[in-house]
Amino acid sequence: MKVSLNWLRELVELPSSVEALVDLLTLAGVEVEGIETRGVSIAEVVVAEIRESVQHPNADRLSVCQVDDGSGALRQIVCGAKNFKVGDKVPAALPGAVLPGDFRIKVGKLRGVESQGMLCSAEELGLPKGEDGLLILSPEAVAGTPLSALYSGDTILDLEITPNRPDLLSVNGIAREIGALTARPVRLFEPKDAAVVPAQSTVAVEAAGLCPFYSARVIRGVRVGPSPEWLRTKLESVGLRSINNIVDITNLVMLEQGQPLHAFDLAKVQGGVRVRLAGAGETLAALDGKTYALSPEHLVIADEARGLAIAGIMGGAESAVTPETTDILLESAAFESAGIRRTSRQLGLSSDSSYRFERGVDRAGVLSASQRACELVVELAGGTTEALQVGGEAVQGATPVVSLRLKRVEDLLGVSVASSRVEQILTGFGLHPSEGGWSIPTFRADLTREVDLIEEIARVIGMEAIPACTQARFSPASAVDRSYDRAMALRRTCAGLGLHEARSLTLVPEKPLGMAFTQVAESDQQRVKNPMIDDQVVMRPNLLHGLLKAVKDNGRAGVKSVRLFEVGRVFSKRMPEEFLHWAMVLCGPVTERSWRTAQGADADLFTLKGLVSAALGGAVTFEPQENPALALALTIKVSGKAVGHAGQLWPADGRALDSLAPIVFAEVDLGAWEKAAKEGVSKRFQEIPRFPAVTRDMALVAPLELAHARVEDVLKEAKEPLLAGVELFDVFTDPSGAKLPVDRKSLAYSLTYRTSDRTLTTDEVNAAHARLKERLVSQLGAVFRE
Amino acid sequence: MIEQQLEQLRAEAFADLAGVSDESALEAVRIKYLGRSGGLTAVSESMKSVSKEEKPRIGKLLNEVRNALTTALDERKAALLSDADRKAFAGVDVTLPGVAARLGTLHPITQLQDRAVQIFRRMGFALADGPDMETEFHCFDALNTPADHPARNEQDTFYFNDGRLLRTQTSTVQIRTMEKNTPPIRIIAPGAAYRRDEIDATHLAQFTQMEGLAVDEGLSVADLKGTLEFFFRELFGKDAKFRFRPHFFPFTEPSYEVDIKSTAVGSADRWLEIAGCGMVDPAVFDSINLRRKDRAFDPEKVTGFAFGFGLDRLAMIMSGVSDIRAFTDNDQRFLSQF
Repeated sequence: MKVSLNWLRELVELPSSVEALVDLLTLAGVEVEGIETRGVSIAEVVVAEIRESVQHPNADRLSVCQVDDGSGALRQIVCGAKNFKVGDKVPAALPGAVLPGDFRIKVGKLRGVESQGMLCSAEELGLPKGEDGLLILSPEAVAGTPLSALYSGDTILDLEITPNRPDLLSVNGIAREIGALTARPVRLFEPKDAAVVPAQSTVAVEAAGLCPFYSARVIRGVRVGPSPEWLRTKLESVGLRSINNIVDITNLVMLEQGQPLHAFDLAKVQGGVRVRLAGAGETLAALDGKTYALSPEHLVIADEARGLAIAGIMGGAESAVTPETTDILLESAAFESAGIRRTSRQLGLSSDSSYRFERGVDRAGVLSASQRACELVVELAGGTTEALQVGGEAVQGATPVVSLRLKRVEDLLGVSVASSRVEQILTGFGLHPSEGGWSIPTFRADLTREVDLIEEIARVIGMEAIPACTQARFSPASAVDRSYDRAMALRRTCAGLGLHEARSLTLVPEKPLGMAFTQVAESDQQRVKNPMIDDQVVMRPNLLHGLLKAVKDNGRAGVKSVRLFEVGRVFSKRMPEEFLHWAMVLCGPVTERSWRTAQGADADLFTLKGLVSAALGGAVTFEPQENPALALALTIKVSGKAVGHAGQLWPADGRALDSLAPIVFAEVDLGAWEKAAKEGVSKRFQEIPRFPAVTRDMALVAPLELAHARVEDVLKEAKEPLLAGVELFDVFTDPSGAKLPVDRKSLAYSLTYRTSDRTLTTDEVNAAHARLKERLVSQLGAVFRE
Repeated sequence: MIEQQLEQLRAEAFADLAGVSDESALEAVRIKYLGRSGGLTAVSESMKSVSKEEKPRIGKLLNEVRNALTTALDERKAALLSDADRKAFAGVDVTLPGVAARLGTLHPITQLQDRAVQIFRRMGFALADGPDMETEFHCFDALNTPADHPARNEQDTFYFNDGRLLRTQTSTVQIRTMEKNTPPIRIIAPGAAYRRDEIDATHLAQFTQMEGLAVDEGLSVADLKGTLEFFFRELFGKDAKFRFRPHFFPFTEPSYEVDIKSTAVGSADRWLEIAGCGMVDPAVFDSINLRRKDRAFDPEKVTGFAFGFGLDRLAMIMSGVSDIRAFTDNDQRFLSQF
């Protein structure tokens, strides 16, 4: 909300500087979002009359003027403008003046001719931009008068009012707040006389739930015309346009009191005023020139024939006050905030009035605002007022009383506040001590509990007055701590393995990339009811969408090797609905090209398997998976339990992501991993072997389809006590058939033999090796190359 | 006779050695004199024919020659190796660039989040969490948000068909925690929150927050102030300047926003809003008690403070990132800078 400091100064003494006022308000919870300075406050700018103007001898575009600055002697000023004539009154900045933009005026020479100041345009003085050239002043202006007398300065603050403080949406309210914060007296804008409330309701309020109180007052014989200067200045200072004296008065009183008002042209009102719900299909042409389609949940002000206004939001065009209007009906009412908010939102229409009603208007102020406006109308537009017509209840019931314990103030704020100080603060805000506590003024409906009063005290004493306490408690680690630490350790391992951490959006398109790869059913997806854009419709079922999208985006950006991982939540309809996953994706060369080495091969499934094993630790195994959606597919297992998937995309899917290099990924459910890995509180140490190991190599020739895993299994199943390790060190095939039949492959293994209590003899090793080879022959039909 | 022979062998061997310029020539000299059929080997074999009287003298001479030759051979070999070593390194251009080691990175939000977690852990906070898909009760009702509050509208919040929603703030974790635990409580909860904001340089429909809650007997605004001042000084440096500006949130009272002087991150002097906080509103405790069907959070016995801040916004301020979308674009050229 915008507020003018000149306006405020009529009510309360302000701190000495704008900065001090801004700090005062900000630190009391009224945030200042903008500060705007208007008018001319520069001392050395005066009214000057142009007495003579001649062409500059050395410059076509300049003229040399002799001006009367009120000092008695003529002053010579060189000027570049063209829009003036001799005899015009214009602003002259004298030497010493500092114009906006820190522009300092001095005596100087312009193309060889002395200039003793500068004639100014509106813009150069910080005034709203007018016509091009000099600001031509009124012929009545007296030479030598400081310009600040003609264009008085003002500062406008743009305040952010929190929703709990509707009382601050008025000049009176802000002044009251400043008075309370500075302990200075406040004189509010108030009507001279109290309104006389009729004993009987005469206005038909048909929806009392939406309009608890309505008042209307007829004023006859008004002269509609322009507003006086002071009224226009006030409205324009906060960005409102002056329309005519009647409309301007309603706006002025709204800004002063916070109570929105509306004036109807009485000649357009047929019969009595009704406050009713709109009929189905009813439309209303509003003051903004648009016609609104209303429905029976919208409240309208109507006469006997038709709707006149959208209640509390905007008046109708038809019943508006015009220059021809002679009699007016002045409305001042209380509308319920929820109804106004709903209507405003549904119609997409908001106004200064709806803004205030949405936040809550003090019902007790309805009649005094009406009275204040009537007095101003009679004063500025003439006319005579008739008796008030009302509907509903003007008072909200008994004044609430809230109790306050000093001990509680100290307990909650951590500092003790003297009772005299508490009293000073609360009375400053308009509260009064009463039986059992503090009686709350009607305009502070937000104060209902002890804690609300304590907050008022906290706002005034400020955080500076409260000590900083640094005591803590011991806290045991929670299950969330342990899971956080495990995920962080995994992230760090991944970074150590050369992967970059990604963080993708949780909302993904309806058909996310890679759904088939991890075999997620569409029916398991959690779909948002009111998505904003097509790219963000379902809660991601896995992390692949984000990572595959990143492969595409990075590829397009020219990143050669994409190496990403992500740890994040994924969502499903299966319980527990939210799962923590880890995923990684690789695309492009494993090693970068350097002066030492050529660029390495592209990452493939085996690069991926190595990284997955390194990231998740020793107990990981991989099993071939039937998955036609992928070129190569594996199930990732930990301690025999499936925890995730790994795979390589079909090249066609890669091409769809603009990638020619293989794309490989892995995704693991960290919850399942955690359960399967069953980590203890600490790792157990294993004895380091003290006796040397012996290795024996073997190269077996087998059918192409024999899996390495099968060989490993056969060796494992042998339970050979001396066998300590099996390493596959070569895989050889020969498509030409020259060195090996085309349907065969050669697998070369290095077997390590060791026992923990002695050095093995050659005979022992040879015997063990022979036993294993024999087993491979009998079980797999292997043939050995010697 | 043998003496002369030995002297002659010695002279010949040293002459040969002088002419040696590589390791194979050196090995040839060793074989010629010390090998199985070498000169000195032959002489030592002829020692059998030497008389008993002369044996010690000749034997001593033989040893002397053999030792001298062996030593000379070893020295020559060491010298040759050293020469070769020097040559091997002489031409190395040490200004050639190092071979790039591949080091990955943690996401800037993760890094900031973890720093924050570590600082709060030093103050005795444990982690807590709650679901992204929340009930209206946990997101609004229990947090004292009026039924007609605009935030509940479908224009501002994502809903699911079953009436649940995507949490608009991590404050939901406060409620989740108090449902299951009793005071004292000291928790922090980093996590995602969602709002139907138009996406631009400073808004995403999804952002990362860090929530905190402490409930205990005797907690006051002083504890809130001490905790957040310590946290932000640890994060921004001990000279960082803050202010607590009274504000309004439905679930805390009194409520504050925390501003930091931007000079702490090296930009022009102004206040930047970085967090919201306050004392837990008694209405929040009341709704928890109602839910729990006990008085574990009796507002007359316990008080609490809560705080929350956006990690994306903090990371933007701290790293000078001007577009929030950079944090979810996953551009490796961006990620690898952190």
